[in-house]
Amino acid sequence: MTITETLARNRGELEVKMRDLLAKPVFIIEMDAFALPCGCKGVTINTRGLQYEDLDIFEEHIRKYLKESSEGLEIEPSFLFARLVPGTAEVASLNSRVLCNRCYMDFARGSGKRPRPDIYILNLTRRE
Amino acid sequence: MKLYVPHAGHLEGLEELLSGSKNIHGIYMAGTPDYVGTGRTNLSAPGLEDIAEQTAYAHEMGVKMEIVLNSSCMGGQHLTAEGFNRINWYFTQLNNIGVDSITVAEPYFVEMLSREFDMEVVVSVLSFVDSPQKAEFYEGLGADTIVIDPVINRDFKKLEATKDAVSCDLKLLVNEGCLYQCPLRYAHFNFFSHANGPGPKLNVLDDYYYYKCLSMRINDPQQLIKSPWIRPEDLGEYEHITDIFKIGGRTHFPNWILNNVEAYANRSYDGNLMDLLDCPRDIRDLFYISNKELGGAISQWEQCNKVCNKCGYCNRLAEKIIKVNSTEDGKNVLKPLKFKGGK
Repeated sequence: MTITETLARNRGELEVKMRDLLAKPVFIIEMDAFALPCGCKGVTINTRGLQYEDLDIFEEHIRKYLKESSEGLEIEPSFLFARLVPGTAEVASLNSRVLCNRCYMDFARGSGKRPRPDIYILNLTRRE
Repeated sequence: MKLYVPHAGHLEGLEELLSGSKNIHGIYMAGTPDYVGTGRTNLSAPGLEDIAEQTAYAHEMGVKMEIVLNSSCMGGQHLTAEGFNRINWYFTQLNNIGVDSITVAEPYFVEMLSREFDMEVVVSVLSFVDSPQKAEFYEGLGADTIVIDPVINRDFKKLEATKDAVSCDLKLLVNEGCLYQCPLRYAHFNFFSHANGPGPKLNVLDDYYYYKCLSMRINDPQQLIKSPWIRPEDLGEYEHITDIFKIGGRTHFPNWILNNVEAYANRSYDGNLMDLLDCPRDIRDLFYISNKELGGAISQWEQCNKVCNKCGYCNRLAEKIIKVNSTEDGKNVLKPLKFKGGK
């Protein structure tokens, strides 16, 4: 299976799970695998119709689904987060990122779920 | 029937459009945002030479050229001496080129254009003319044509009263998929006007209004039915109001635009209504609304009193006909709307 076929399959499967969970046609508008110059790599899953309250209530389920999707793309689910439109209910994307050392320090410094107004951490595996 | 058709702004695109259909009465496109912006996003910013070349080509083909400068917020720039001189110079150049009409939303520009220039003055949907009183006001300023705010596209009493109140032309935008009575409308168009106009460009994180607009439909799909679009089959119901119709969508490919032109020119479309709507484009691949299954709904809307919480017609129609594109075993399938979750 090519990388794009794998992405397409994962996009569809995650969307179906989210819809079954939330009983609304949450739309995964784009799923992108990426590699950044700093060394971070991962997947960005752009969502429409997903809201902060959905995360708040179904965090456990959504974390599990995102972890499965990330593993399906062979991306270690060490850092899972949602990107919010700051100050609003709207979730712009779900993300799984393997952090480079520098970015790891940025995110690992704090202990809360909201290191920035636009970030909601679903999972951060701490390094030794 | 006179159809006004969107155009992204480059000559090649215009050639595709005008060679692709004989049903186009007029073309409209944005100008450069350096003088007056527009209330929607644009794919290009044609300069004066581009506009001159394309205007000449449109005229050769017997088609009118309209330039859209419908910023809903100028931030007061036009009221300064420098701003006025700059805008006046730009209008003068467009006039000299031979542009047929200019669409503006700012009342000041309606008056200025009508008094000082030969071009026809078109009042934009972004002037939000939704009553006979507002129409009279803009006609008094010098409007030759008013594009009616689509919010009253299904309010026939107001449409008829507006028609009776003025003698200028009225134009109806047929395929805007904006939310009915959208609470984001003014703020969103003002944001676009600044983002696509003169002045400093903002480093915007996200288009909140667009995200919220999509989210409202996904969370409440009946909003898709309530949006005041006009089906191609229903144009005849509006012909006692006007015979001038405008198709929205200047950021779309010529192929999409031509599909719309043929649907509205032929007054028939056998497919997904979402294919025809200018916005919200991002959820075109999410919902399937059989256009043919909407047949007859216009009869309800013609006598609708817009008290949705007591009526429920659009909600019932949404539940009956809206399907959702979903994935099953790697294939796309259509599924009905779902109302239970928690799995």
